[in-house]
Amino acid sequence: MCSKCSPMISATVITMALLAGNSVAETTEINLSFIGDTNSLAYQGAQQGRDEANIQGRFMGQNYTLNASPEDSTAIVAAVDAESLRKLSASHPNKTIFNLTAEDDALRSECLANVVHIIPSKAMKRDAEAQWLQKNPDSSAKAQTWHPTFRKYAASQLNSRFSKTHSVKMDDTAWAGWAAVKILSDSVVRGQTSEAQTLLNFIKSDLAFDGQKGISLNVRNTGQLRQPLLLIENDKIAGEAPVRGVTKTSNLDSLGLASCPK
Amino acid sequence: MKLSSVVLLSVSILAQAAFAEPTGRVFVTNEKSDSVSVINGSTNKVEATIDIGERPRGIGISPDGSEVYVAISEENKIVAFDPQSLKIIREFDAGEDPEAFAVHPNGNIYISNEDDAKATVINPKSGEIIAEIHVGLEPEGVAISPDGKQVIVTSESTNMLHVIAVPEHNISANILVGARPRAATFTTDSKFAYATAEIGGEVLKVDMASGKIIAKTSLGDDKAKPKDVLVSKDGKTLYVAGGRMNQVMVLDANTLELLKGIPVGKRVWGLAMSKDGKRIYSSNGVSSDISVINTEKNEVIATIKVGKFPWGIVIDD
Repeated sequence: MCSKCSPMISATVITMALLAGNSVAETTEINLSFIGDTNSLAYQGAQQGRDEANIQGRFMGQNYTLNASPEDSTAIVAAVDAESLRKLSASHPNKTIFNLTAEDDALRSECLANVVHIIPSKAMKRDAEAQWLQKNPDSSAKAQTWHPTFRKYAASQLNSRFSKTHSVKMDDTAWAGWAAVKILSDSVVRGQTSEAQTLLNFIKSDLAFDGQKGISLNVRNTGQLRQPLLLIENDKIAGEAPVRGVTKTSNLDSLGLASCPK
Repeated sequence: MKLSSVVLLSVSILAQAAFAEPTGRVFVTNEKSDSVSVINGSTNKVEATIDIGERPRGIGISPDGSEVYVAISEENKIVAFDPQSLKIIREFDAGEDPEAFAVHPNGNIYISNEDDAKATVINPKSGEIIAEIHVGLEPEGVAISPDGKQVIVTSESTNMLHVIAVPEHNISANILVGARPRAATFTTDSKFAYATAEIGGEVLKVDMASGKIIAKTSLGDDKAKPKDVLVSKDGKTLYVAGGRMNQVMVLDANTLELLKGIPVGKRVWGLAMSKDGKRIYSSNGVSSDISVINTEKNEVIATIKVGKFPWGIVIDD
């Protein structure tokens, strides 16, 4: 495909004869680009997200892939460091760059318009741990975004789907990879678009995503995904943040930088 | 004996065998007590408790009222028992971790298989699998239209209502709804369906002819999510279990305007309605009780203590 074409061209409409029972006649190809180590859990998470997006795509008429070049992609799923993310953001201003691994606080306060940080920032984790310590002063629990023993809110179903397919436990970056692709596919069907810039706008303003963490998730103007965190002590889940009793459990903005500096 | 009276006699015997006199009992699965509570529908007293198997959840009754079915989640099977004698009749394989199901007017069971992204149609008399239908991820609620022509299966992680045509057993429509659709129900005339979306905090109304959502409302808050849903026999009133809101919410079935919250037990989950539409029973998981609601006044008229974590309710009336 040509690199000069508008991002819209990357969504090619292909007519396919589908099996009886799946009643869509046309399938839109939506090609994502994964940047980073393809031997990582982040990539396996993105593969899980792609496979699940394709289950929905069978019914709604989309097919997702993960191996487009950044130029030809509808969105970029990146497991890279902060500096590489900034470069990707600058060279692809009209499409979503999902950040799966870089926790740097500076990336959030920079408010890069096209970067969506799925992984929580260091500040979010610090705040979660501080809330936890207020109630549990002797605890050494550390904040994480996910845990393989997480069961509530259908987390156990996602953990078991992932470990069944990949023979490895879902960690924070695997969850981030899964969530990135599912956020994209959710926005395609709800926003009824496969155009890159329109999708970016939808993700940043209209998202209501079920990350299997018990609460509807959306995106701050910093680009950070609002989300509850888990407190992990001795490799076991000790609690959830926002910490009940310290603040309202729905007060997700009590974790990290709530909005862009003025 | 004349031939005609022989025929008449056999017909009446057949009719007796086919339609057992309703016991008037209400049966409740207790997820964490591994039991079924048997409630006398007139006195609202528990008259027996059946040890049924590990983690019973979904419950249904055959159209002729002769058998009650219970999904035994940890044992991957459905157990059938006699609502009169309370004796176990038989059991059969129900796939992995069976949870919610519904019984078709023709007697077949439609069950969602959460871990396999499919719905399975089982003949409960023989245990034979009649069809398997691929649906979205984490299928949950199952609703069958009163005319028997359509089945809705909700897929929680694919956010859809899958409409399955009967008897073809293919998918006739996929309706995208809010995040984590949990339960669905049809109006008496089979023309409309209602569904709840748990994470989306939505209740919605679907026109089944067009497959379009024609009304939608937000319900609940961050911790209290809409669960089970029922519509009154006249189609005018909608009842939604409010989860941790500890209320059954009463909505105008047409506008979806919230009319009233009926306080019930803690973490209200499942709902069932009597055939005459005059009573609704709610299973309240955390308080381990059942609330009986009078639908004329929309008030609780009795609270019945049952086993731990009551889940499903069926009425033999």
